[in-house]
Amino acid sequence: MKTIDARGLACPAPVLLVKEAIEKEHPAVLQILVDNGAAKQNICRFLESQQFEVSAMQQGNEFQVMGTRKTGAGDASCAVEEIPGEVKKILVLAATDRMGTGDDELGRKLMVNFIKTLKEMGKEFWRLVLVNNGVKLTVSGSPVLEILQEYERSGLQILVCGTCLEHFQLLDKKQVGQTTNMLDIVTAMQVADKVIPLT
Amino acid sequence: MEFPTNADVLVGLSRADDAGVYRINAELALVQTVDFFTPVVDDPYWFGQIAAANALSDIYAMGGIPKTAMNLVCFPVKKMEMNILRAMIQGGLDKLTEAEVVLLGGHSVEDPELKYGMAVTGFIHPEKILTKNGLRPGDILILTKPLGTGIINTAIKAGLASQETTERVTRQMAALNRNAADVMAAFSIGACTDITGFGLLGHLAEMTAGINLGARLWARTIPILPEALEFAAMGLIPGGAYKNKEFRESMVSFSSSLSPLLPEVLFDPQTSGGLLMAVAPGQAEDLLQALKQNGVSGALIGEVVRNAQYPIIVE
Repeated sequence: MKTIDARGLACPAPVLLVKEAIEKEHPAVLQILVDNGAAKQNICRFLESQQFEVSAMQQGNEFQVMGTRKTGAGDASCAVEEIPGEVKKILVLAATDRMGTGDDELGRKLMVNFIKTLKEMGKEFWRLVLVNNGVKLTVSGSPVLEILQEYERSGLQILVCGTCLEHFQLLDKKQVGQTTNMLDIVTAMQVADKVIPLT
Repeated sequence: MEFPTNADVLVGLSRADDAGVYRINAELALVQTVDFFTPVVDDPYWFGQIAAANALSDIYAMGGIPKTAMNLVCFPVKKMEMNILRAMIQGGLDKLTEAEVVLLGGHSVEDPELKYGMAVTGFIHPEKILTKNGLRPGDILILTKPLGTGIINTAIKAGLASQETTERVTRQMAALNRNAADVMAAFSIGACTDITGFGLLGHLAEMTAGINLGARLWARTIPILPEALEFAAMGLIPGGAYKNKEFRESMVSFSSSLSPLLPEVLFDPQTSGGLLMAVAPGQAEDLLQALKQNGVSGALIGEVVRNAQYPIIVE
């Protein structure tokens, strides 16, 4: 099996490496390592256009794409690790940095546990939206910062309200997530199959 | 961040647009923009033309008339020969001359990576500013240059584009949006922008953001450069197209009957792309005819609708 390490390369370099390998060495099976989603999708497309059957796996930030030359007819699928249509899209909206009212210290502890445990939703955990006090979870010193960064690395989209960051003067202190606006938040809520609000 | 402002700032940072506008008096305002980038083609003379056409485009997109320009140059003096610099500046200058814009000066710095562009100033009537924010229900959307320059440029970098395709896309990127803007001035335009780094759907998403209107695009009529879909199928898609898509795809609904490659082309970042105009529905055919008579290719690609389920629907 031919292995190509295209990590650290920007498009179109990874595709060109694969093209060259196919033309020069005519491998029946190819394994390619890349470290960004664009390169992974481009390589899948290229292999499919060259009549390869394709599968892909994700590990953290890295992807391993496998290509097998087609012998007869077969369905190429590049979407094995992507979420299939029937998986629910769950959006969690947190408007607070602590869980519930009563004791604030307890509320903060519960919040850490809550954020940690969200991963048990598996692939259905689709988006995390942070507004109002919730945006404070994204700045340095936040007890869940590392957990959130881990979620983001594994592909979860974290949307952080820009107006709220501005209000708390935290715009330049945010360490995780994409700054976003209300329209994107509302659209995401509309597209989600289920919205879990924590206020 | 807080930005200083005053009553004469007609378009500023509070509402991002193609260019800023500052009022001089009731009849005259300045429209200002700046843009520079790394080479998109190998030929320095053509790159100079493209950089100038791209910098001027933001003025045209606002409905302004560009008047003066200043060069911005980053040049690797130790690595590159001066005749490259000369050819690039000449390309920019020739494009300015074509646009009847004068070069007043500029600034250059040594940089390991070549970059070129311009700061451009133009005139505009304070009551005739075309922003991204004025879409009206029923407006018809017209696009003046075919999409796919990002994908084709990636194919050129990969050495896979034919000579003919390379020349076609180079000419297109170097073409001014001047005639399109001149023609547009006689029509009722709700909003206008030029299509650049965010791709058609990224820029359209900006236009529909924050208003209670949506856009319905007619996929079959959207002009796309020949071979762009073929190259997209081979995975020659710039990283920017995926970033644009990731950022905005929740705002867009694609009909399931469309090619799965179409989203990539509609999110493809464009270099010196065309104008996207929203014209009153009764004038759309006339505007299209007037554009053609002035040598501008254009197509009616969609309409502005009320109560859309998604900000953008592609069908």
